[in-house]
Amino acid sequence: MAAKNKTKGKYLKEYEKQMNMCIRCAYCFEKCPVIKEVQWDTDGARGKIIMSYGILTGDLKPSQYIADKLFRCTFCRDCMERCPSNLEILDIFSNARAELVDSGFATDTHKYIIDNIKKTGNIYGDTEVITPERKGKIALFIGCQYLGRPNKTKKYIKILEKLGIEPTVVEEICCGFPMDVLGFKNEYEKHKEKFKEKFPFKDAIALCPTCTVFLKEGHEIKAKHVLQLILEKLPKANLGLKITYHDPCDFSRGLKIIDEPRKILEKLGVEIVEMKNNKENSRCCGGGGGILMTDQKLSNDIAKKRIYEALETGVDMLVTSCPTCETTLKKAAQEISESEGKTITVRNIEDIIWKGLKNAKAS
Amino acid sequence: MSMKIDIKKLKGIVGEDNIRDNIADLYVYSSDASVHSKPPDVVVRPGSIKEVQEIMRYANKNKIPIVARGAGSGMSGQTVPLDGGIVLDMKWMDKIIKISPKDVLCKVEPGVINDELNLVLKPYGFFFPPTPSSGRICTIGGMIGTNASGNRSVKYGATRDAVIGMKVVLANGDLVTLGSNTKVDSSGYQLAKLMVGSEGTLGIVVEATLQISPIPKYRAMGVANFKNLQDAGKMISETIAAGITPSMLELMDKVAITAVNNAQNLGLPDVEAIVIFESNGMTKESVEYEINQIKEICKINNGIGVKVTHDEKEMTKIYTGRKKLFPSLSRYKEGLYTTALADDMAVPMSKIADTVNKIHEIAKKNNVVMSAYGHCGAGLIHTKILMDTSKKSQWQGAKKAVNEVYDYVHSIGGTTSGEHGIGFSKGPSFKREKEDSLGMMHAIKHALDPNNILNPHKLMDSPDDWLNATPLRYQIEKYN
Repeated sequence: MAAKNKTKGKYLKEYEKQMNMCIRCAYCFEKCPVIKEVQWDTDGARGKIIMSYGILTGDLKPSQYIADKLFRCTFCRDCMERCPSNLEILDIFSNARAELVDSGFATDTHKYIIDNIKKTGNIYGDTEVITPERKGKIALFIGCQYLGRPNKTKKYIKILEKLGIEPTVVEEICCGFPMDVLGFKNEYEKHKEKFKEKFPFKDAIALCPTCTVFLKEGHEIKAKHVLQLILEKLPKANLGLKITYHDPCDFSRGLKIIDEPRKILEKLGVEIVEMKNNKENSRCCGGGGGILMTDQKLSNDIAKKRIYEALETGVDMLVTSCPTCETTLKKAAQEISESEGKTITVRNIEDIIWKGLKNAKAS
Repeated sequence: MSMKIDIKKLKGIVGEDNIRDNIADLYVYSSDASVHSKPPDVVVRPGSIKEVQEIMRYANKNKIPIVARGAGSGMSGQTVPLDGGIVLDMKWMDKIIKISPKDVLCKVEPGVINDELNLVLKPYGFFFPPTPSSGRICTIGGMIGTNASGNRSVKYGATRDAVIGMKVVLANGDLVTLGSNTKVDSSGYQLAKLMVGSEGTLGIVVEATLQISPIPKYRAMGVANFKNLQDAGKMISETIAAGITPSMLELMDKVAITAVNNAQNLGLPDVEAIVIFESNGMTKESVEYEINQIKEICKINNGIGVKVTHDEKEMTKIYTGRKKLFPSLSRYKEGLYTTALADDMAVPMSKIADTVNKIHEIAKKNNVVMSAYGHCGAGLIHTKILMDTSKKSQWQGAKKAVNEVYDYVHSIGGTTSGEHGIGFSKGPSFKREKEDSLGMMHAIKHALDPNNILNPHKLMDSPDDWLNATPLRYQIEKYN
């Protein structure tokens, strides 16, 4: 059932010119992980831009069907990498989602996440988050994903401190990216003010690639990812590992952080065998854009494709530098291992750095 | 829905998951890269020849129009379903059936993507020679539909030259095998060649036999700048007239240069025209010989700052910049949007410079901006009209410009389309050009498709008023 367009294009009006600049060349199809899986035009970037335009002009009324299609995107930025007109595709999508949310088509899962953030400051609804507060020299934003993984956070902080990087950690709330990307724009605007109070820093480093991007784009904070500082101070080691490296989308296409993780691994004596699609052409892990909450099967199918690519390299370990990539790829790797007997271990780069520091100390 | 379609029947043929009739899907499938938009009644995704046949039998019996579609990157409205009906999304039929290097051929389904085919052919040392700029997303079926050619057409020709056989489902559902597995074929009517460029109006291609070419071992690319289009055009025609066969000979005018610089930061020089040339071959010596000859011709025609590179990265950068030219035109100037109108034509080699100058003259007269660029080494010129699409007066100007451009092209012995095809937005110009053979075309169409279900109202049956044949997709005035 289609609802009246209550918003009358309130969110998409700003992107009218952009949508007209889309000449519908379909170059965005090239490596879109969703199109590669489902192969319907409607599900690719061009289709979503056309639907968004239809919502703006009133040719299309918001509906659950359109909402489902618009939420079927991992926000991997591959379309933006391909678009020769340099359109702000993801901004168009998040605002199209806002039209649908305002028209009453948010999913219960999304509403649940947003409620969690509003009530507890994190996406999990965890009221007992223990923030490893400390006073240092540079503000460190941990982010929900790492706050939900306290051992990993501890490890990262220890790495930073061993390298002489003294982080300041304060009690924090979610950066707000889920609110923005899922189309809860009003909630995000209110959250932004609260965030500023909790995290009043102009410069910061962050553990999560997505948070790093959003601190910059959403909060205008001069943010760097911790790996960019770690590289400068990391001693050499000789781990003798042979791995493949998965570039998180927010690194390779968002922040253009492509060389730093590789240089870190090389410094630690790790040989990298690149996958067929690497660096700015890295394939999505299937975990971004809110898709994990709305289409787990699609997310998993996308992740499995990436694991198959990793298996083709012949190595037995895949390293990445994003907690979401790690989670989705680990799950996919496990399923492939159980069903087909082909095995690859998935690790996050902080584990390798930690090993490397121990190795460097020992030698 | 404007016509009664038995969705249950279609679901029985292709399966529930391979049909879409939601208004949002129909809206998306109503347009391609042209300016037009008209929704189908249903989108169906066949996965096999048998399914295509069954759909066709059903459609033919009930006189339901059928439009086949690949990536939907056509610019003249080929895949816009003017009469509604069924859009056949062929992307699901994407198998590479056979690769035979010793027979220098491969067999593919129509949904195979051009660049992906080339990736698979590469380890064998071969490639499929037509190289449209949209190769990263366009399908072999779409290329066959329009007889696509591309940047290397000057040396390798167009899709028709590389298609040697095919399987086609006719309007009545019959499956026919056309052509052969050989490069040369004098066995009766060349029906496979007839199908190429027929834009889905004579049958649905469900398998194609393609001739492949060996990947040249060496190549070099050059860029020459010109202070005026006349010199650039002369350079191009003199290169071909000298018996040189470069693998690429591309022209870009000032509008194209500005747009590419704005969109892609390529840092191309601020000149009136640029010619990109490439030579490829199996020996370094043959490539160097050709490059030197071309450089000499550039010099004779006042080419400045001629640079040649053998570096693969550098060549890829230049080539990618050229391939992204059409979409980059959106960034030429604030407030002007790119429309695929008068998007391509082919003229005799000696008339290239005159044609490009004429295009600019016509654009100025009609208060629009037009860019001229393309595979001029094959006589092919691309244009686009850049305009404020919210203004009716601009559309009127564009309509006049399209007519005037093609009238000029015909007057100098050129043809309406070099590679993009006719669809219906070039229909009136095409019908004027081919006036004396329209009867033949109608006879062929009627013989193969008596119920006129295959992509109706395209080519020789296209409406006389393309501007008002469908809603335009730029309905800005609609909600202001």
